[in-house]
Amino acid sequence: MPSNSASSSAAAAAGSADSSTSRRNSKRPKYSKFTQQELPACKPILTPGWVILTFLVVSVIFIPLGVVSLFASQDVVEIVDRYDNDCIPAPARANKVAYIQGAADKTCNRTIVVPKKMKQPIYVYYELENFYQNHRRYVKSRSDAQLRSVKDENQIDACKPEDDVNGKPIVPCGLIAWSLFNDTYVLSKNNQTLNVSKKGIAWKSDREHKFGKNVFPKNFQMGNITGGGKLIPDVPLSEQEDLIVWMRTAALPTFRKLYGKIETDLQENDTIHVILKNNYNTYSFDGKKKLVLSTTSWLGGKNDFLGIAYLTVGGICFFLALAFTIMYLVKPRRLGDPTYLSWNRVPGGGR
Amino acid sequence: MVRSSSLNGDSSASHRRTPSRTVTLGHIQPQAPSCRTVYCNDRDSNMPVRFKGNSISTTKYNVFTFLPKGLFEQFRRIANIYFLGISCLSLTPISPVSPITNVAPLSMVLLVSLIKEAFEDWKRFQNDMSINNSTVEILQGQQWVPIPWRKLQVGDIVKIKQDAFFPADILFLSSTNPDGICYVETANLDGETNLKIRKALERTWDYLVPEKASEFKGEIQCEQPNNSLYTFTGNLVVQKQTLPLSPDQLLLRGCSLRNTEYIVGAVVFTGHETKVMMNAMNAPSKRSTLEKKLDKLIITIFCVLLTMCLIGAIGCSIVTDREDLYLGLQKSDWEYHNRLAIGFFTFFTLITLFSSIIPISLYVSIEMIKFIQSTQFINRDLNMYHAETNTPALARTSNLNEELGQVEYIFSDKTGTLTRNLMEFFKCSIGGISYGCGVTEIERGIAQRNGLKVHEEERSTGAIREKGFNFDDPRLMRGAWRNEPDPDLCKELFRCLAICHTVLPEGDESPEKIVYQAASPDEAALVTAAKNFGFFFYRRTPTTVYVRESHVEKMGKIQDVAYEILNVLEFNSTRKRQSVVCRYPDGRLVLYCKGADNVIFERLADGMDDVRKVTREHLEHFGSSGLRTLCLAYRDLDPETYNSWNEKFIQAKSALRDREKKLDEVAELIEKDLTLIGSTAIEDKLQEGVPNCIETLSRAGIKIWVLTGDKMETAINIAYACNLINNDMKQFIISSETDAIREAEERGDQVEIARVIKEEVKKELRKSLEEAQLYMHTVAGPKLALVIDGKCLMYALDPSLRVTLLSLSLNCTSVVCCRVSPLQKAQVTSLVRKGAKKITLSIGDGANDVSMIQAAHVGIGISGMEGMQAVMASDFAIAQFRFLTDLLLVHGRWSYLRICKVVMYFFYKNLTFTLTQFWFTFRTGFSGQRFYDDWFQSLYNVFFTALPVIVLGLFEKDVSASLSKRYPELYREGIRNSFFKWRVVAVWATSAVYQSLVCYLFVTTSSFGAINSSGKIFGLWDVSTLVFTCLVIAVNVRILLMSNSITRWHYITVGGSILAWLVFAFVYCGITTSRDRNENVYFVIYVLMSTFYFYFTLLLIPAVSLLGDFIYQWVERWFYPYDYQIVQEIHRHESDASKADHLEIENELTPQEARSYAISQLPRELSKHTGFAFDSPGYESFFASQLGVYAPQKAWDVARRASMRSRPKVPKK
Repeated sequence: MPSNSASSSAAAAAGSADSSTSRRNSKRPKYSKFTQQELPACKPILTPGWVILTFLVVSVIFIPLGVVSLFASQDVVEIVDRYDNDCIPAPARANKVAYIQGAADKTCNRTIVVPKKMKQPIYVYYELENFYQNHRRYVKSRSDAQLRSVKDENQIDACKPEDDVNGKPIVPCGLIAWSLFNDTYVLSKNNQTLNVSKKGIAWKSDREHKFGKNVFPKNFQMGNITGGGKLIPDVPLSEQEDLIVWMRTAALPTFRKLYGKIETDLQENDTIHVILKNNYNTYSFDGKKKLVLSTTSWLGGKNDFLGIAYLTVGGICFFLALAFTIMYLVKPRRLGDPTYLSWNRVPGGGR
Repeated sequence: MVRSSSLNGDSSASHRRTPSRTVTLGHIQPQAPSCRTVYCNDRDSNMPVRFKGNSISTTKYNVFTFLPKGLFEQFRRIANIYFLGISCLSLTPISPVSPITNVAPLSMVLLVSLIKEAFEDWKRFQNDMSINNSTVEILQGQQWVPIPWRKLQVGDIVKIKQDAFFPADILFLSSTNPDGICYVETANLDGETNLKIRKALERTWDYLVPEKASEFKGEIQCEQPNNSLYTFTGNLVVQKQTLPLSPDQLLLRGCSLRNTEYIVGAVVFTGHETKVMMNAMNAPSKRSTLEKKLDKLIITIFCVLLTMCLIGAIGCSIVTDREDLYLGLQKSDWEYHNRLAIGFFTFFTLITLFSSIIPISLYVSIEMIKFIQSTQFINRDLNMYHAETNTPALARTSNLNEELGQVEYIFSDKTGTLTRNLMEFFKCSIGGISYGCGVTEIERGIAQRNGLKVHEEERSTGAIREKGFNFDDPRLMRGAWRNEPDPDLCKELFRCLAICHTVLPEGDESPEKIVYQAASPDEAALVTAAKNFGFFFYRRTPTTVYVRESHVEKMGKIQDVAYEILNVLEFNSTRKRQSVVCRYPDGRLVLYCKGADNVIFERLADGMDDVRKVTREHLEHFGSSGLRTLCLAYRDLDPETYNSWNEKFIQAKSALRDREKKLDEVAELIEKDLTLIGSTAIEDKLQEGVPNCIETLSRAGIKIWVLTGDKMETAINIAYACNLINNDMKQFIISSETDAIREAEERGDQVEIARVIKEEVKKELRKSLEEAQLYMHTVAGPKLALVIDGKCLMYALDPSLRVTLLSLSLNCTSVVCCRVSPLQKAQVTSLVRKGAKKITLSIGDGANDVSMIQAAHVGIGISGMEGMQAVMASDFAIAQFRFLTDLLLVHGRWSYLRICKVVMYFFYKNLTFTLTQFWFTFRTGFSGQRFYDDWFQSLYNVFFTALPVIVLGLFEKDVSASLSKRYPELYREGIRNSFFKWRVVAVWATSAVYQSLVCYLFVTTSSFGAINSSGKIFGLWDVSTLVFTCLVIAVNVRILLMSNSITRWHYITVGGSILAWLVFAFVYCGITTSRDRNENVYFVIYVLMSTFYFYFTLLLIPAVSLLGDFIYQWVERWFYPYDYQIVQEIHRHESDASKADHLEIENELTPQEARSYAISQLPRELSKHTGFAFDSPGYESFFASQLGVYAPQKAWDVARRASMRSRPKVPKK
C-alpha cells in the first residue's frame, strides 16, 4: 500500500484531534472464539492404538464385503465367443475389409456349449474391442435435441460429417447413429429357436426422455458410405432400443452392449446354435467382435474385481494391523518422548 | 555566554553555506538548474508560474482508470494470463470443453480481486480527503481566515498554532517567542522526539500580527523542490534587501509546532513538491518468500502440463492415422493426412483439457484466507491488544502472514521499540553503600528463566513513584539519610544532582507541578531524583540555580538556597563527563562533576581505594542489571586556584580557533583531585516484557540485531538489559573511537580519515572473523556478539569488506549497530536479506526506521506512540515489542503452516483431478475427449472442493497458542521451511498419482460388464460421473486426514461439499433444456444410484485412495516425527483452555525473597561492563554532522535560551 509521510503526518494530526472523543470507545477487540482461534476442535493424534484400530475396522468391514461380492460374481455364468476372425471364410481372410464391404453372404454359424446351468434371464451381449466410441470426434457427433423432438430435427450442427443428405437433415444424425452395430444373432437350442427379446435392453430414462416417441428415422444411411445398421423407418426412435443402447457411448475402447435377453433357462452342456450375420466392419481398424451370453447376480455380471479388491484391501489392513502391533511390542516408542524433539537431538542446538 | 554561543552559531552558519556534500535519505535527485521565485502574500504574481496545489493524492486509480488499470494489474499475474489464454483457446473449435469451463472460474477470480482493490483504494482516497480537508489559517486582507489544506497556495502567509502540523514547507517569518525562534518536533520525519529549534531571520520578526503581516511583500528565490530534508538554500528579497536563507528558516510539512504559541510563515513548497512528499517512496509492494516459491511450483506444474500435452500430441499423431471408419474421416480431411498438424492441434486441445492442473482458485483462496487471517485473527487478537494505549495489532497488508512464520533475523530499533525512552532513577551508591531495592526487568527475566517468580515488589508505604523516579529505599527518603553513616556525602550527592545539569524548570515552582525540560531524559531523571530526596531545583537564571533544600540543618526545615553557577564544562562524547563550578551562598567554591566511571576514577584524589573498589563493584552490578550508571564526584576549590583557572577558561572560551579543544584542555586542569561521592543508576525503562520476548525469540532460532542511532555505551547497555549480550559472551567491538582514528580526524584531511578508518575497520573485521571462526570450531565456545558503530559500518558495508562483515555477523548470536543513520539501517537489513538470503524482519517506531522497515521482508511498526511514520511504512503494526512473540510464534507460525497445507492441498487436488483425465486420454486414442462433463469440471475447483480448504487455512492448528509460545523451538520448522520443500511436493504428487490411478482404474476395470441384475451396461458418462463422485469424496475426506485440529466447520464444509456435489448432480442430471447441448449426463446419477455396484465402489475406492496416505502419515509420524507432533503427543491429554494462561502462573516469591534473590544475582567475577551511558543530545548533532549539516544548538543553548524566556524583563512581542 503506497503511503507517504505527509499523508501519515496529517493522519496523525487528524487522529490526535479526535483521540479525545474516541478514547471513550475502546478499540479493544471483542472476544469471540472465532477471532481468538479457540474454536472447540477435535485433535486426532495417530497413536498406535488408533492406527491399529482403524486397520482392524477396515479389515473387518472389507473382508465380508469381499466375500459377498466374490460369491455374487461366482454365481454368474458367462460364455464368451469371439467370432470376428472365424466368421470370415478362410479364402477371404487375406483381405477382410474387402470381404466385409463386398456383397457376399455374411451368414456364419457358431456353436456354443453351456458349461453350467444358466438361469433366466440370460443376457446376450456383443463385445467390441479397439472401437473408440469415446473418441472426441465421435462422441460429440450427435444431436440430443433432434433425437428428442421432431421440432428440432434441423439442429444438426454437431453432427458433421453425417449431418445431412442433399441439404435434408438426417435423423438421427451424427457419426454415432451412422455407425450403428448391425450384426445379428439368431440363437437356437436343439433346433428350437431361442427367443431373444429386445425389449427393455436400454435404460428406461433414455427410452422415455432422450428419444422421442414421435421421432422417426429420416434420410438415414442414404449417404455415399454406409456406416452400419439401418433403422426401421416407421418405428419411432424411442422403440428402437438397439439404437438407444448403441448411442449410450462406451467409456473405453473395449466395451459390451446389450443385444437382448433370453427368457428361458439353459442347462449344463446344452448346445446353442447361433446363426450370425457378420455385417459390421471392424476389420478396417482391427476390431474384435465377441458374442457374450451371461446371467447376472444382484451385483450385476461377472465381476471378480470388486470382490478381490475388497478382500485384498481387507487382508492388507489386517496384516498391517498385525505387523504394527508386533512392531509396537518389539520396538516401542514412548508417546511424546522429548528426546525426539529436534532441539534435543542436535547437541548444542538448544539456543 | 549567550553572546558567545550565538556568535558560535553564526560562524558555523556561514561556514555551512558551502556544503561539501549532500546526503539525502532516499536517492539523490538531480537539481534542476533553475530556481523558483515566490512572491509572498501575492497570489496574482504567482499565478503565471502555476505552482502545484497543496492537495495530495495517494490513490492508485480513479473512476475511469479503475477498470483498465485494475485489470492490467490483475493480468500482471502470470497465472491470470495463463487462464486468459486458456479461455481464449476454449472458445475455438479445437477445445474439447465448452468455454464456460475456463471462463467462469477466471471471471470469478477477477471479480473478487477487483472488489478487493477497489475497497483498498477507497480507503486511501478517504484518508487523502481527510488530510486535504484539515484546516489552516491564512492571511486574507488583514485577518486570518481558515481554509482547507488543499486550497493553500505557494506564497500564502499562514499562521500555525501550537501543536499543529505544518501543511506545507513553510518559510519561517516570525514567532510569538522572543528572538524569533520556534520549536518543532520532527518525530514524523526522523523519529526523534527531541525538539529542534528553528530561527527566523531577524528582519522578519515583526510580521506577527495580521496588520503587520499583510504589509509583508517579500520575494523568495530558492532551489527547486527536491527531496533533501536537511538542505535548503535561497534568498529572501525584502525591501530591496537580499537575505540568505538556510534550513533554519524552513519548516517542513510533516513536522509539528511545539512550545510556541503560534508562528507565521510563507508557503514555499506545496503538496507533492514538499520535501517530505518528494522523499516519500511508494512502499515497495512485498510478496512473501513462500509466494515466490509458489511461483516456482506453478512453473513446475506448467512444465508437467506441457509434458502431458506433448505425450498426448505425439500419441495422437501416431494413433489417428488408422482408418477408423467410424470417425467418418474423409480423404479430403487434413486429419487424414498431416500427422504434424494433428499433433499440433491436439497439443492445444489437450492444454485446454488439462488446464485444471493449474489451480486457478488457489490465488483467490489464499488471498481470502490471508485476508481473514489478518483482519479477524491478527487484528483482533486480545493477546496483542495493548490496553494502556488502546491499540490493537494491525495487519496493514495481508500478503505477508506466512512470512511471519519464517523470520530468521530481526532488526530492531532501540528507542521506543525496546525501550520506552523513559529514564527512571533506580538505584544509587553513596560512599560505598548501595541504595535502592527495586528489581529490574532483566533481573526479573533471569529469575523467571531460572524458574522463580518475582512478584511485583511491595512498595514501602509512601514510596514516591513519578515519571523519572522509581526509587525506593527508606534509608534515604524523607531526610532519613541524616542517620546514614555518611550524611555529608549524601548531601553532596543530592546537591550534585540538583546543581550539575542543564535542565530547565518550567511551570509552577512547586514540586508537584514543575516540569523539567531536559535535553536528555537521563538528566530529567536525576533532577527529579534530587527533588524527591528533598533538594528541589525550581528556578534557573543564567548565573544562578535555586534549590529548595529540606532536612539539611535539621529535620523538617526547608530553605531556599541560591547557588551561583560560575562555569559549565559541557558534556561531550570524548570527555564523557560534565562539570559545574558553583559558589555556595556562604562562599564555598565547589566543582561538581558527573561522568563515566573510568573518566571519573582517573581523576580522583589519592587514598580512597576502599570506596573506589566498592563503588566499582556496585557499578558492575548496576551495569549487568541493565542500568545506566553515572559516577559523581566533587572537589572543593580555593578561590586562588579557581581564579587563576578561570582566566585560562575565559581565554579558551574566546579563542577563535580550536575552541572546543582548548576548552577541553582547560577543563582537564580543574577536573582533578576529585572526591568520589558515589554513583547513580538509571533504568532506561525497557518496554514491558522485552527481555522475556527476546529470550523466547532466540530460543525460536531467531537472531536479533539492534540497530540504533544511540551511542555505543547506551546501545551496549540496552543490549545487556535485553539480555542480548551478557558477560559470558565474547564481544567484538569495532568502534571509530580509537586513538588512530581520532588522530586522523584531528588532522582533518577527509581522504586521509577515510583511508585510516577503512584500514582500521578492515583490520578489526579480519581479526574478529578469524577469532570467531576459531570459536566456531570449538564445541563449547562462548557465544559471540558484535558491536559496531555507524562510522565503521559505513566502511564495512563497502563492497570489498561486505562479505567479511556478513560472515562475521552471521556467526554472532547478537549484533549491535550503534550510531547508524536510517540509510545504514536499511543497508544492514538488505545485507542480510540479499547477502545471506535469510528472511528478515525490521521493527521500529520512528521515521528513521522507515527505510529499514521497507528494506526487510517484513516491516513492523510500533503503533500507539505519536509518530505514525513507521506504522505507515510497515506491514504490521503492534503496540509493544513483546507482541512479537504472539505475532511470530503464534500467528506467523500458524499462517505458514496453514498456507503450506493449503498450497499443497490445492496442488494435490488439482493434480489428482487432472491425472484421471490424463489416464483417460490414453484410452481415447489421444483424441482429447473430456472425461467429465463441462460443469463438473468447472465447478470442481470453485464449488465442490473450495470451502474445506479455506476452513483448513483458517482453523488448522498443530499445537495450541500457549504451547506455541511454550515451545518456541517449534518455530524453527518454519525457518527451515520444513513444510514447503520439494520433498513435500513429491510426496503429495505421489499421493495424487496413486489416488488418481485408484479412482480411474478401479472404476473402469470393474464397470466393464453388467452392473445390475437386469444386465445393463454403463456408458462413458456413467463411468466418469462415478469416478468424479469417488474423487470428490476422497479429496474432501483427505482434508480431515491432514488436519490436526478438526472443528465443526471442517465437518460442515467437508460434508457440505460432498452433499453439494450430490445435490448438484441430482438437479443437473434431472433437467433437460431445449437448448442444443449434449445432455450426456441426463439421469446418470439416478442410473448410478439404482445399482448396488455404485455403493460398493463408493465405499471401496475412497477408502483405498486414502489408505495409502494414511499409511504414509502414520509411518512418518512414528519413525520421523516432526517436532510439533511430539509436542502434540506430550500434551495430548490437555485441553486448550485449561492452559491458556499457563505462562503467567508460576511460583511466587515474597518481596524479601525477591530482594535476596536480586542480591544473589550479583556477578561472581569481575566483569567489564559497568553500565555507563549518558545521553546528551548526542544523536542530533551526530546525525547532522554526519550528513554534513550544521547542527546549531547544544543542549546548553537550549537551556539558556529557554531560561531567558522565563525572565520577566524580556518584553513579549
